Amino acid sequence: MGRYWQEFFLRNGTALALYLLISVACWMLLMIILPQIFMLDFSFRTNVPPPLWGTEAHGYTLEHYQYMVYGSAQSTDSYNFVDLSVFGRTILTAIFVTLIDVALCYPVAYYLAHVASGGWARLMVMALIVPFWVNELLRAFAFKIMFGSTGIINNFLVAIGILDQPFDFIRNGVALYSGLSYAYILLMIFPIYNAVESLDKNQIEAARDLGCPWWRIHWRVVIPHAKPGITSGCTMVFMLTAGALAAPQILGGPSSLWFTQIIYQAFNQAGNWARGSAYAIILLSTSIIFVLCMMKIFKVKLGEIAR
Amino acid sequence: MISDHIRKTFTILFVLGFFAYLFGPLIIMSLTAFNSSAFPRVTPWECFSVEWFQFLGKDAKLIEGLQNSIFIGIGVVVLAVPLGLSGALMLTQVKERVRPWYYTVTISPILVPGVVLGISTLLFWDRVGTMFGASRESVFYNGFFLTIIGQATFISAYTMLVFISRLQRFDRVQEEAALDLGATHVQTFRKILLPFLKPAIASAAVLAFLASFENYNTTVFTIVSESTLTTFLAAKVRHGINPSISALAVVIVALTLFGAALHEVFKRRELAAEKESARIAKGEQVTRKSKNRFITDPAVILIFLVTVAGLGTVYFAGTMGLDECKAAVKAEKQRVVQERVKKRQQKSMFQDAGRQALTPVPEGAGARSRPAPGTSNFQGLFSPDNLEGQAGTKETEQEQEKTRAAGTEQFQGIFAPQNLEEQSGASGEQQ
Amino acid sequence: MSADVQLDQVWIRFGDFVAARDVNIHIQEGEFFSFLGPSGCGKTTLLRAVSGFSEPSEGRVLIGGRDMAGIGPNKRPTALIFQNLALFPLMTVWENIAFSLEVKGVGTKERRKKAEELLELIALPGQGEKMVSELSGGQKQRVAIARALAAEPDVLLLDEPLSALDLKLRQHMRTELRAIQQRVGITFIYITHDQGEALTMSDHVAVMSQGIIQQVGDGNTIYDQPETAFVASFVGENNLFKGKVSEISGDYALVDTSAGNIRARTSKGEERLSAGDEAYVFIRPESLKIANASKFDNRIGANIKQQEFEGSFWQVFFDVEGSDRDVKLSTVNDGSTLIHKVGDRVDLGFSADMAIATPAGELAAE
Repeated sequence: MGRYWQEFFLRNGTALALYLLISVACWMLLMIILPQIFMLDFSFRTNVPPPLWGTEAHGYTLEHYQYMVYGSAQSTDSYNFVDLSVFGRTILTAIFVTLIDVALCYPVAYYLAHVASGGWARLMVMALIVPFWVNELLRAFAFKIMFGSTGIINNFLVAIGILDQPFDFIRNGVALYSGLSYAYILLMIFPIYNAVESLDKNQIEAARDLGCPWWRIHWRVVIPHAKPGITSGCTMVFMLTAGALAAPQILGGPSSLWFTQIIYQAFNQAGNWARGSAYAIILLSTSIIFVLCMMKIFKVKLGEIAR
Repeated sequence: MISDHIRKTFTILFVLGFFAYLFGPLIIMSLTAFNSSAFPRVTPWECFSVEWFQFLGKDAKLIEGLQNSIFIGIGVVVLAVPLGLSGALMLTQVKERVRPWYYTVTISPILVPGVVLGISTLLFWDRVGTMFGASRESVFYNGFFLTIIGQATFISAYTMLVFISRLQRFDRVQEEAALDLGATHVQTFRKILLPFLKPAIASAAVLAFLASFENYNTTVFTIVSESTLTTFLAAKVRHGINPSISALAVVIVALTLFGAALHEVFKRRELAAEKESARIAKGEQVTRKSKNRFITDPAVILIFLVTVAGLGTVYFAGTMGLDECKAAVKAEKQRVVQERVKKRQQKSMFQDAGRQALTPVPEGAGARSRPAPGTSNFQGLFSPDNLEGQAGTKETEQEQEKTRAAGTEQFQGIFAPQNLEEQSGASGEQQ
Repeated sequence: MSADVQLDQVWIRFGDFVAARDVNIHIQEGEFFSFLGPSGCGKTTLLRAVSGFSEPSEGRVLIGGRDMAGIGPNKRPTALIFQNLALFPLMTVWENIAFSLEVKGVGTKERRKKAEELLELIALPGQGEKMVSELSGGQKQRVAIARALAAEPDVLLLDEPLSALDLKLRQHMRTELRAIQQRVGITFIYITHDQGEALTMSDHVAVMSQGIIQQVGDGNTIYDQPETAFVASFVGENNLFKGKVSEISGDYALVDTSAGNIRARTSKGEERLSAGDEAYVFIRPESLKIANASKFDNRIGANIKQQEFEGSFWQVFFDVEGSDRDVKLSTVNDGSTLIHKVGDRVDLGFSADMAIATPAGELAAE
């Protein structure tokens, strides 16, 4: 160990070595690791007013995790159906949104990488970046305008006679699901595009030459090759969707709460930071477990994902 | 062969649909900012107007939020660029065994939900503040400080990725060459590595600023009692929507596009420089192009011209003849309203007055309708063409006044759908 | 100024791997010294230990009599020319050349002047404003040399700087490098795997293999009196016969090989042959003659397998009984036609002074 640090200082010089060590240590410890540990610790403590934090009254407890499952002691239900169902729906919807995004992005990525030619393809890839730069809130707002009861979709559907009355897309979640699918779709398309693009065109031609039908080419040649890209897209879309706050706040109907909104309420309305932390930990660990499972199932390394 | 053809057509339609899905909402949102209609929409189109933009300049809270966002953005750039740089420089130097772990930890903030980052930052510094016995006014409880730290946590990971990809193309031997020629480590860093990283630093800074400027999930927890442009915007959207939000959206979209275009230019210049050095490495002789300065880069000039021309056109088109147009629309509306009133008066004469009842609420229109005092024979008024009408604006109210003044109290129900619309817009957010 | 370089019992290890094994070399002040060896033999590692990029695990590096332990590359009186030159692509030619002055804080005017002087030296006057990318390969080479010389080193280290050039340019640069070295008069330490470079330019050559210095000497000695099997097989072409020493008499050994008994000089390395040892006998292709009568000490029966015309000389390949490798002979093309045909049986003759017997050992990869 001593020799390693000696060499490290020799290689970088004292000033640079110190800059590297201090800033990386600050970033990793003060910004990434310690805050998470403190949040974990906080989530296991009783909910007392801030002045009592750190005192004896601020002891350890499992009550916030129990609350998530069983609800408050006064409640007549045996389980906390509200939070549990919101949590379940959030995870299921996030999975659903992820699948929708794969289904939407794969054909487009394949088209851009192997069918479209030259200048057009480049232009389209460039164009893909544009919506990515637009604020998440505004993207949700745009959907709110479109799906409003006098929004362009309702007007169009009524005008061509499919509907005789405007349909409340917001209340029954259509706006939310399309808004969420939209929100992180580019984090799906770029990894898939990059993966598909690196496939040698000759492999497709060879398969076609051997009389392989088009769907089988995709199933046996293209998709296996694009697997790391698809997995990394799925990971990012799932994590960001499950952790989204802006889109559910703007597009969610009264009956379709998102789990992050419950966390938000615990913090900003109920003033129960401990419960908020516990719920945040639940969200974080579920997401991590999901990602680890994905990586295990599809045999992809983390290094391949975060690119 | 025929099925091939169908498949091709289908694919192209699919791709077109995809792009429509990507751009449609943004285009429609942007258009609503230029419609003089008081509810953000494109149909019916009333008058081309920039008046919603003029509202923006008068909103003191908006200006404050904007200033805060810029301040925080600069803070994040100042913090995240050096952090990301050191993270990237460290990556090649940590022991092989530790490297995957190091990479995982530094990259993880990108994948951790923003909400979680915000909460953990807030809690951590609160505890640190308590440990030091700092007062509630101290930096540990300050929204700006917390937001800069919270955002920099994951934005540093972005900038690190930018630096890693740039450093992969750096010939480390150059550092050794400089050292060998007598340079100190600091001189080597300043004179060799930094100039090489300059384009990456610029693009990382732009990226960091944009990411900070747009962030909501983390900021909403760490900002405490202050506000940024995004938290202001979120509050506004949740309290009900109007075209001034669209106008703000257009401004932000235009600014981000401008930033994105600059970012793209930086990236292209970087790539061009790289290609050249790749050719040098191959020992090819490269003829020297006139040194391409940033200001005279054709892409930069193009961006500038498009911006100026676009702003100019929009401003003139949006202010010229607006009043006339508005007057015409108003007159047309009154005419339509009066026509309907007339028709219904004629119709109602043949109707059975006994069938009066509370107006059923159309299923999709939201729960909290106020019972419309109309009769069932006015149900037709809920038909979509009425929904196009105005939503509770001054104008509508004036119209209502007029209709009332005309003594046709019972036709107030005409406006019910619009009112419902307005309510549902707000009620969706009141949970 | 010039300085001598001394490697004193230098060992360099990377984990279990030994890159340099007990190296003892004294490089004289002002000489052109080459390390010659196949890639991976440890010569670059040694160079890095001299320039200060790595420290020896054991032993000392002395430059001008001063122990260099703990002195970083930027403080050593050496300048290194890298294999890929490592010119700074973002700087102009003169900025590159004057970089060592810039970091010392020398003013622009003086830097400019010095750069111009060096540009004269490398025959690129007035090219200072160009970008590095605008230069041809040979010009870059010379700029790299000028940049290193600007630092006024006592010792110039060169790490295969010519390997990226094409053959013609490489040969031209050899002469030029030698000329520059004689003009500036400082010690040059040159790393190469190309024996032609090493033999033509150097005052002394050290042949290296697997971290071990096999032999140090001037070009002639290395070529004519190899001390180990490796040197004999690595430097120049050599025909090899494996066998056992049956008798030692003075400087000569009688070796019993599959092609018969061969009398040869014994090598003069640390390890000496004695009767009963496994030995390798090497004979250069140009030392072999198609023999007439008893003119030679040694004679081997062989069949002509192939004859190749190479312009200034002929190459003839033979099958020799009991040997699985071809024996090669080269003879100057003096205008006369070859008298033998493929398939002819002939006697190959050579004098014992032209053959050399070394202890059996590592051979260079073919």
